[in-house]
Amino acid sequence: MTLPIATFYYMAFASVASALLAVTRKNPVHSMLWVLVLFLHVAGIFLVLDAEFLAAVQVIVYAGAILIFYLFVLMLLDLPGEEAGPRFGNHWPFAAAVGLSFAAIAWLARIETPDPVGGGVAPAASRIAVEGPPPGNLSEIGMALFGPFALPFEMTSLILLAAIVGSVVLARRRAAGS
Amino acid sequence: MIVPVGTIVGLSAVLFGIGVFGFLARRNIILMLISVEVMLNAVNLSLAGFSRHLEDPRGQVLALFVIAVAAAEAAVGLGLLIALNRNKPGVGVADLTKLKW
Repeated sequence: MTLPIATFYYMAFASVASALLAVTRKNPVHSMLWVLVLFLHVAGIFLVLDAEFLAAVQVIVYAGAILIFYLFVLMLLDLPGEEAGPRFGNHWPFAAAVGLSFAAIAWLARIETPDPVGGGVAPAASRIAVEGPPPGNLSEIGMALFGPFALPFEMTSLILLAAIVGSVVLARRRAAGS
Repeated sequence: MIVPVGTIVGLSAVLFGIGVFGFLARRNIILMLISVEVMLNAVNLSLAGFSRHLEDPRGQVLALFVIAVAAAEAAVGLGLLIALNRNKPGVGVADLTKLKW
């Protein structure tokens, strides 16, 4: 077993374990910290999969921005009786069954994906040719992002703008008398 | 190909199942939203795996879009949560029965 594969399996087991801990801990802050562990391990898996840019974005955006945002709101709300009550609803066996069956179905669906050469899943014909120094995938992603994906990329900015305006409107304190 | 794509998709399936369980079973809205993030991460993982397998950068581009949508979802979801909390303190889903018929 070579080093990258051993690394991959370590990170796979660690991410499954931290995800399980995250959804079962009683203290919400502990859950958040386990989710942080999960995100960092997933970033490591991205590195093994040669997706360096995705790994960097995962650490910066997910672990750095989104999770801190969640933690911030969690501490802002200051939930006193949160640890006293039951952590799961009464229907949790049903939820476990749904999660297990979904995981089982998706596990069974992971058929041997055919080779991209002989009858592939998606046409890999539209590969973007990159001139200059080939190593690294950042230039490939950049060419794809501003080439075939230019319109969705711009639409993403609209989504983010709508999210900003929406969250400000939702969380704003109503002015007195209006 | 050092890691077979089936292994990555299987890992993604397990993580997604854990996220589904957390979303359905937890009573705390913040932890339900965090479970959604776990599910989105599982999807990103399979997208990156397929991108590696098919040697096509488009999978990673889609994963970037998923991350952007996740950021938007976190902002709107937590804004809703703060607005809810102002009207009625607490983040338990069982207490939010105002819209129940």
